[in-house]
Amino acid sequence: MQISLFTVLILMVLTAVGFLVGRRRAYAVSSGHASRLHSLPSYYGYYIALWTGVPAFILLAIYGMFGNDAVNALAGAQMHRAGEPVHAQFEQALSDDEDIARLEAELATLENRRIYAREAIERDSELVPAAGEYPAQSPAERQQALSSEINRLAAEREARAEVLAGQVEAQTDDALARAGFVYSRLSDERRELMINDARAIAFGEGVASRETPEINALASAMRPFHEVLRSSMALAALALAIGGLAYARSRISSSFRARNRVEGAISVLLLLASVIAIATTIGIVLSLLFESVRFFSAINWRIDEFLLGTQWSPQIAIREGQVGQTGAFGAVPLFAGTALITVIAMLVAVPVGLFAAIYLSEYASTGVRGWAKPVLEILAGIPTVVYGFFALLTVGPLLRDALLLLGYENAVTQSALAAGLVMGVMIIPFVSSLADDVINAVPQSLRDGAYAMGATKSETVRQVIFPAALPGIVGAVLLAVSRAVGETMIVVMAAGQGANLTANPLESVTTITVQIVMLLTGDQEFDSPKTLSAFALGLVLFVLTLILNVIALRVVQRYREKYD
Amino acid sequence: MTDPQNTAAPAATVYHDQPSANPIKVETRSVSVRYGDTQALHDVSIRIPDRGVTAFIGPSGCGKSTFLRCINRMNDTIDSARVSGSVLIDGEEVNSRAVDPVVLRARVGMVFQKPNPFPKSIYDNVAYGPRIHGLATKREDLDAIVEASLRKAGLWAEVEGRLGMPGTALSGGQQQRLVIARAIAVNPEVILMDEPCSALDPIATARIEELIDELRENYCLIIVTHSMAQAARVSQMTAFFHLGHLVEYGPTEDMFTNPHDARTQDYITGRFG
Ligand SMILES: Nc1ncnc2c1ncn2[C@@H]1O[C@H](COP(=O)(O)OP(=O)(O)O)[C@@H](O)[C@H]1O
Ligand SMILES: [Mg+2]
Repeated sequence: MQISLFTVLILMVLTAVGFLVGRRRAYAVSSGHASRLHSLPSYYGYYIALWTGVPAFILLAIYGMFGNDAVNALAGAQMHRAGEPVHAQFEQALSDDEDIARLEAELATLENRRIYAREAIERDSELVPAAGEYPAQSPAERQQALSSEINRLAAEREARAEVLAGQVEAQTDDALARAGFVYSRLSDERRELMINDARAIAFGEGVASRETPEINALASAMRPFHEVLRSSMALAALALAIGGLAYARSRISSSFRARNRVEGAISVLLLLASVIAIATTIGIVLSLLFESVRFFSAINWRIDEFLLGTQWSPQIAIREGQVGQTGAFGAVPLFAGTALITVIAMLVAVPVGLFAAIYLSEYASTGVRGWAKPVLEILAGIPTVVYGFFALLTVGPLLRDALLLLGYENAVTQSALAAGLVMGVMIIPFVSSLADDVINAVPQSLRDGAYAMGATKSETVRQVIFPAALPGIVGAVLLAVSRAVGETMIVVMAAGQGANLTANPLESVTTITVQIVMLLTGDQEFDSPKTLSAFALGLVLFVLTLILNVIALRVVQRYREKYD
Repeated sequence: MTDPQNTAAPAATVYHDQPSANPIKVETRSVSVRYGDTQALHDVSIRIPDRGVTAFIGPSGCGKSTFLRCINRMNDTIDSARVSGSVLIDGEEVNSRAVDPVVLRARVGMVFQKPNPFPKSIYDNVAYGPRIHGLATKREDLDAIVEASLRKAGLWAEVEGRLGMPGTALSGGQQQRLVIARAIAVNPEVILMDEPCSALDPIATARIEELIDELRENYCLIIVTHSMAQAARVSQMTAFFHLGHLVEYGPTEDMFTNPHDARTQDYITGRFG
């Protein structure tokens, strides 16, 4: 922890003190007549408290965000300087070494030949064998042979350099200098690992993956920077707090508009919160867009193939030489699977949810409504993963056994039907609570009107309430659809994974969300078309649910306007 | 001066002599209503003549609407409401089990304070009652009922040719007349109106008052109003309610010129309410 709890506590106390000082000051400048002040005394308190706390905490927040990096950079620079002479020594050793010189010369020759071979391949011509030097080879074979030879020699050179580096290291006594040298020869990831290990040793942040004298040296180089930075930041924060307090106190007079200042600070706070929310949304959408663009460029912009193709097998495409194979990224089976499951879910959720809502709002007595509504809403609180294993372990096998009994031989446990049914149950409370809201928004005067005409309850519901609530109910259903389309856990567990293009609910299907999970879980390279396709699917999903939500909200809104 | 709050134990209702021109259509005997634990109406007994307008007046919350809703059993739709006593229409008990409220409400129409046309076309609004009660089997019959009702409600001239338009698109006063047409369409004997003009402007109000005056030829009209002037203009009988009691009942002219009870006098002269 880089900011000590103690500093934070002191700052909080100072902020509280600032509040009290402000209030007292307000009483003092009003000479006991608080009514002469522009604002209530506590506003002066808040004003000083803001000046005391906010700048200091902002400073600490900045330190919290960049403090570690600063310490790493400072210690890294020190290590680098210490390592420079060792590195020079190593460079010298490399250039003096005969083996290295020989290997590099050979490598250069081979590289030239490989270039020649590649050019021959590009020109599609035969190689002209240099005077009896090689047996006749096709350019491709030749390139292959040269490549493996180059790889072998490069490895040899690397090994020799490693030996030399070892010798140089052995001659260096200063561990930090060695650390600098070692660090300079590491790949980026390994550098990061080394820094993390050093931090782990220096500050106990997690467990070091290994401990060497070099890492220890780096750790000891980090500590003083850390200490100095930390205490100077704490002091600066305190100074800022006290300075802020003093400044704010000096501004207080009986005509000072503390209330308006506090109001301003509050509006900034609220603005910040919404900016964070909006910026996150925009960030996510942009990253979806960029990664999707990468995907589409990897499949040569065959967006039509992606949206209309019927073959989905992203695995093929990661094999070397098949990058850009477009046939494998036809997402129609996923769209169809999503649609199939959504339809099944809606067939369950819409009637049941709607009838439940009608019962609760029109028929149930207040007593029944009082407990039935919360119980229904508990359904909405069940984690979807629980629905998922309910679907997988109970509903799926039950359906399969029932179908087998009925003589349907291809019955499987994981089917669109099982997933859709359970998803429908999951969405029931969603539909019923939204529908309940819109039905309750139908003015009582319409019910009275219908009853006064001698309509029965169900006539009133069918002929007056339902038509009046219809736009809102349509909105509720659309929201439920968008929920079903985006639902993941249940389908991952219960729908299977086969990208079948089928309208048969008894087969296993896959959905957009399931595929995204499949594409991104496990060890994946994050720049192959396979993983990138997940972003494109995510984009499709996003656009789909966005459209649904916008329409739904529009419909609901228009309906609200009508009755307000 | 009388303080209405302190006249705690109310004297029995004061009944003026009734000129018995028309037969009695609605009669109630000791009707009381409770909402849960609070009693909103105490022992109201009244005899309302046919073919005329009877006005219920009284300060807000005194139980006028509650009493009105007893007559077509609309209080059945309120969970907490408990009605006791007897309500007779043409001498027939309304609160008996044998009476189906759905059928009763076809005989006793009701118009509310806020115009409440259904979110349907003008035609369907008026045809609503005849349809659910099966009053017309052929389309022509239904058309005829709709037209006749709209004519009686004085709306026909304004909506002729636009019957497909949604009822909610009409103006407030037109909506209220549409609702009256809707009530008339099932050919009721009694029409209850609960402050039918309080959401309307003076011109629309005058229009409705004219209509009420025309309708009294054929129906027993009972109208709740908070406007003394309106009661004086449109009604032949007036009942004054106060704190859940029927204080005084008699011919309108008599009530306004010669109130017997001090509370009635205070209310009529605008001293409270
Ligand atoms: N649905 C109800 N539930 C509970 N109390 C009600 C209800 N309706 C009316 N009341 C109460 O009954 C009393 C009479 O109300 P109401 O008949 O509406 O008076 P008015 O129409 O004369 O203004 C009031 O005190 C009111 O608060
Ligand atoms: Mg009322």
